[in-house]
Amino acid sequence: MIRFENVTKMYGNDVAAIREASFDVPKGEFVFLVGPSGSGKSTLLRLMNRQERPERGTVWVAGANINELADSRVPYLRRGMGNVFQDYKLLLNKTVFENVAFSLQVIGRPKHVIRQQVPQVLELVGLADKEDRLPSQLSGGEQQRVSIARAFVNRPLILLADEPTGNLDPGTGEEIMSLLDAINRTGTTVVMATHDHRVVNAMRRRVIQLDRGVVVRDQERGVYE
Amino acid sequence: MFARISYAFRETIASFRRNVTLSAAAILTSAVSLLLVGTTFLIQRAFDNLLVQWRGDVGMIVFVRPDVSEEQLSFIKQTLEAQPNVINVEKLDYLDRAASFEEAKRVFAGDRTTLSLLSVETIPSQFKVVPVTTDPTLVRGLADQYRNLPGVQGVALAEDEFEVISTMSDFVRSVTITMSLILLGVAVTLIWNTIRTAMVARRNEIEVMKLVGATNWFIRIPFILEGLIQGIFGAIVSCGGLWVLNRAWTSGVAGFKAGTGVSSLVVPGSYVSGVMIILLVVGALAGSIGSGIAASKFLDV
Ligand SMILES: Nc1ncnc2c1ncn2[C@@H]1O[C@H](COP(=O)(O)OP(=O)(O)OP(=O)(O)O)[C@@H](O)[C@H]1O
Ligand SMILES: [Mg+2]
Repeated sequence: MIRFENVTKMYGNDVAAIREASFDVPKGEFVFLVGPSGSGKSTLLRLMNRQERPERGTVWVAGANINELADSRVPYLRRGMGNVFQDYKLLLNKTVFENVAFSLQVIGRPKHVIRQQVPQVLELVGLADKEDRLPSQLSGGEQQRVSIARAFVNRPLILLADEPTGNLDPGTGEEIMSLLDAINRTGTTVVMATHDHRVVNAMRRRVIQLDRGVVVRDQERGVYE
Repeated sequence: MFARISYAFRETIASFRRNVTLSAAAILTSAVSLLLVGTTFLIQRAFDNLLVQWRGDVGMIVFVRPDVSEEQLSFIKQTLEAQPNVINVEKLDYLDRAASFEEAKRVFAGDRTTLSLLSVETIPSQFKVVPVTTDPTLVRGLADQYRNLPGVQGVALAEDEFEVISTMSDFVRSVTITMSLILLGVAVTLIWNTIRTAMVARRNEIEVMKLVGATNWFIRIPFILEGLIQGIFGAIVSCGGLWVLNRAWTSGVAGFKAGTGVSSLVVPGSYVSGVMIILLVVGALAGSIGSGIAASKFLDV
């Protein structure tokens, strides 16, 4: 589903955020990206949805070389991917329902589809009763659920999560992880960058470890270390 | 499709509301600059009315009596053509009575009394003479000579009547055109700034839109529409201003004594409506150019 071939990403002329990274993520897999701060986890995720382009190497997503994708096609690539962030990136002036509906609206989905799918996915993340609240009236865990609902409502092939539990206490983090696990079980490929060794160790999934931009470990059913 | 269109409109209106002050400033500036553009057109047209008889370097007009005989007319023509070193024979032009009457309608547009006294039967026909010499005494001497030809009603010299106005017209035209262009530039910049501000205010939304796969055009269109509407609103306001201005002008001119020439400064209503259409088009263009530039430039957030 996602394949990196000798990918190097530079910021400026001397800083290589990613060096010669190669790996292959099959469809339906759950992958943790771990490594110290600044090791390039976020950069790796941003290379997957064409927020960044590599200086060298090739990134394949769903069989397409996305380096060569025309700018005008990038939105269609992204419609097949959901994004979840540490800081949720919710729109604060919109309700829970509107935040989720927004991602369908802006890709031109008709109203009746929105009215049908948004409640469904809010049910899935356990927020059916809070759809009229504003983000400020929710706990951190609930806000992250909204952002997951928004990422998943379009049934993406791939979910990219950048430290989704980073701002949450351990118990809430676990809830979020079981949600991501459930989404992964529907066949969605999940790539998650994290610092959180507890969730990595509890889940026992594939672990790709980065150190200063280099892939130093790629292990099935790995732990954080 | 419908979902997209209604989305664009809702967003445009919402953004308008959020930015009332800036939008109002952009609209007002567009209105003022477009009003100046419109006024330029009107002033130009008013001068043209005065100068229509003298268009194309005409330096002398030989008016021929309406009851002139064939022989007299061809004699006048021969006399004029006999001076190729003073008169540009190529450009010598004869306006028959019908053509002269059409011209008079423009010259006396604001002077109904004079106009009503004229008719195709009683109006003099005219030779438009373009001198090749720049020596005024030579032209004046010729004029005196032509005045005494049989069938000639009179001779008018540009120098006596409209040289000053012509110079003034050129000056006023360049001043007003320059000022309108500058103000139009300011209007485009203000619209650009309004749209840029609107986009910066909504950068979070734009970021989310890009991440979930909204196309750039989908993101841009509400902003461009907003600029377009600002431009059109500005144009509508300026059209109102132009209408008021022209009315005041027309009634002001009517206060002058007939026959002073001031009355020909009146601009017909059909011309004013034409100018208004131009203003609407220019306003729409200014709005979409300003917002279009902003919307393409500030999409990379
Ligand atoms: N836009 C940028 N411009 C320049 N350098 C950048 C940029 N983004 C990241 N970097 C650099 O690239 C390296 C990798 O950054 P990245 O954000 O991918 O790390 P990370 O592993 O996600 O870190 P963290 O765990 O703190 O989120 C860092 O050295 C960072 O300073
Ligand atoms: Mg990071």
